[in-house]
Amino acid sequence: MDDYTIGVLTNIGLFAFVALSAYLLLITGEMSFGQQAFFGVGAYAGGILTAIYGLPLPLAALVAMAFGALAAFLVGLPTLRLKGLYFAMATLAAAEMARILFELFHFQVEIDGELTGPDGTQGFRGIRWVFENGIEPAEYVALVYALLLVVLIAFLLVERSRLGAVLRSLGEDPELAASVGINVSRMKLGVAAVAGGLAALGGVLYAHHNTYIEPRNFDIMLGVHSLAYALIGGLGTALGPLLGVALDVGLLDGSRIFGGARMIAFGGLVAVLLIFRPRGLLDESVVHWFRTQAWRRT
Amino acid sequence: MAALLAVRDVVTAYGKIEALRGVSLEVQEGSITCLLGPNGAGKTTLMFTAAGILRPRSGSIQFAGKDITSRPPHAIVAAGIALVPENRLVFPNLSVQENLRAGAYQRGDGMEIEADIERLFHRFPRLRERASQNAGTLSGGEQQMLAVARALMSRPKMLLMDEPSLGLAPLVVEEIFRIITELHRDGTTIFLVEQNAHMALKVAQHFYLIEQGKVTFSGDPGSLAEDEVISRAYLGSARQ
Amino acid sequence: MLVDLLQNTLDGVAIGASYALLAIGFTLIFGVLRRMNLSYGPAIMLGCYAATWTHLEFQAGLLALALVAVGATVLAGAYVERLCFAPHRRGSAIAAMVGSFAIWMQLEEVATLALPRHIYPFPVLVEAAPLQFGGLFLPRDAIVSIGATLAACLLLHCLLYRSRFGIAVRAAIDNPMAASLAGINLSSVFVRVFALASAIGGVAGYLIVATHGQVTPMLGMWSTLKGLLAMMLGGLGSLPGAVIGGLALGILESHSQWFLGPQARDLVAYLLLFALLAARPAWMTRWTTTRSAS
Repeated sequence: MDDYTIGVLTNIGLFAFVALSAYLLLITGEMSFGQQAFFGVGAYAGGILTAIYGLPLPLAALVAMAFGALAAFLVGLPTLRLKGLYFAMATLAAAEMARILFELFHFQVEIDGELTGPDGTQGFRGIRWVFENGIEPAEYVALVYALLLVVLIAFLLVERSRLGAVLRSLGEDPELAASVGINVSRMKLGVAAVAGGLAALGGVLYAHHNTYIEPRNFDIMLGVHSLAYALIGGLGTALGPLLGVALDVGLLDGSRIFGGARMIAFGGLVAVLLIFRPRGLLDESVVHWFRTQAWRRT
Repeated sequence: MAALLAVRDVVTAYGKIEALRGVSLEVQEGSITCLLGPNGAGKTTLMFTAAGILRPRSGSIQFAGKDITSRPPHAIVAAGIALVPENRLVFPNLSVQENLRAGAYQRGDGMEIEADIERLFHRFPRLRERASQNAGTLSGGEQQMLAVARALMSRPKMLLMDEPSLGLAPLVVEEIFRIITELHRDGTTIFLVEQNAHMALKVAQHFYLIEQGKVTFSGDPGSLAEDEVISRAYLGSARQ
Repeated sequence: MLVDLLQNTLDGVAIGASYALLAIGFTLIFGVLRRMNLSYGPAIMLGCYAATWTHLEFQAGLLALALVAVGATVLAGAYVERLCFAPHRRGSAIAAMVGSFAIWMQLEEVATLALPRHIYPFPVLVEAAPLQFGGLFLPRDAIVSIGATLAACLLLHCLLYRSRFGIAVRAAIDNPMAASLAGINLSSVFVRVFALASAIGGVAGYLIVATHGQVTPMLGMWSTLKGLLAMMLGGLGSLPGAVIGGLALGILESHSQWFLGPQARDLVAYLLLFALLAARPAWMTRWTTTRSAS
């Protein structure tokens, strides 16, 4: 497998994390334009921990996830009680604030005679832990997908459990959920924190893959894209967001069929697709069909 | 006499739940016909289906000989039907006058519209007093008058009324039914859904009983003992 | 010091006038269709790019360019409405919104393929020197912007409060179901409101690029962000609120930039919005309480 393909596959995996993050919130009925902020928090935190403090990647990733979850919790606390568009705008405002703070963030330390660390709009170079520890691109993509697999399995297990039904009920009929004793706001806050941690994990992996990050990487485009991936791929299953990312990054970027008119093609396709499948390709009815087929065969 | 409105085997569903499971009924021209039934029986669903808000899954609705099944609401108004919905649904941020003008939206005859507004103010003097006030500031009874007046602005051949007495004081309810009788006398056909079976039976020439999405009885007010009608209208029949 | 304060406020009002127009456009679409149109800014960008192209090809005059900008924006808006909003009218708001995002991408790519450079010059509205009075500078194009915004607001007010169309629009905003029961064809109202919002957006875009004397590919995202911010700051969904929000945003940005620098300018605006949403004062949620349930 050539380096280019490995790169495309890695990107699919990385963006899947932030798409799953948006998906998780969508399931509980919240539309967030701001998951890219937690992706960024994870990237910056993870990068600082390995490049400046010399922590090994696994540990840095865990700490970065904690940061992401905490940030999401803090953003969610005053905003989750807002309805629909108000919540979306609040997340947008929070994410843009985060991006501007990244632009203002200067924290450079001299390591081995070289200034390392975030340098505002100039970005953050030298996140080289992966290379310094001799990890090949092929090994890294395997690592990314291994982690993604763990996450997907967790999602699939939750979806079939009572917790999954409860989470979906938050999105479909929160009054009903509340009436059977579910603490809606506490659950949503918990979900927001998990979604934040998930996006942050993607961020850490992203930072170490690219070795260089800048505030521009974490702008609104990433946020709206994540939301779009989740919706297009389908809201019936966690495989939906993955499909959405794969379609955009993989098919169109990787295959270069449409050349410079990639977005014209993709944009048009998505809009038309949504007319026929407003809840995405793998929506609840498709997933239900798959499950009943599997049942019939046993 | 020909039926003005003919509903045949209409099935209307919300997702998987069938609210109307094959409803057939007729409203004779020039009559007051009443639809009674317990909560959740499908009365409002039938009104919304006839008015075009909901599309039936199957069945047909004919009005004055024309097929109006599945037509959009504004086309149904054009055909000559106006619905006074449950809970009034006036436009709270429009003035009383503007509410009436909205009801006349499809008409092009400016002078006649003004004349109609004048006539309606004569019939509903309380609305004249509040002509430039926002409809949201009116009392429940006044809003009901306004909703009826607004529906009348389109000069409908048939008026659909969904629970016009809901939430109103007894005196106001009497006034509403007096107006219904007046409209009937002036030639408007009225198809009325009511919880207040007692008042409804006093004015109707014909009534239907609907339970769990199907018509279970059809007759005129004398044909069933009143207390049986009332108990079935509120509670449904013992078969449930 | 006082002069600086007044000058900043004046500058803020000048740019705020354009923000107000953008916010009005978003508010019309959100108020009537109850949907967020993420292609609003990009449609405006396409309009301005069309005007730029016209300028490059034909050296057309300012008025012609304004007409092209508005016309192209309305056309782009109609395309978005048919593809992303009409099909989801009875359905999902999120699908409409994500669809409009997909078309955002599409429109931006069309514009940048037609005119690939990072920056294009655009004829300035007024070449003359700014007016001066008492130590304050008032650029002449600011006068045009503010004047155009006032005119647009007046026209909109007349349209909404003194015409049959206006009654239909306000009825649809109040209660879409009751409006259709009154015989109002909602689809037709939506199409016309969309066209109106697009036209207003086209005017806003034209004023912005003619004031700055240049067009860049960032115009789409920028207009969307500013329009959304201004709309939300003024209390989502009310038209007077949109105007106030636009002016407030302009003034806020102007002062923040003066005292704290360009990055702070955006930071303060977002911080204020976030704080307002978190605190959720009554006037911000007025929208959901004065409209009747539907």
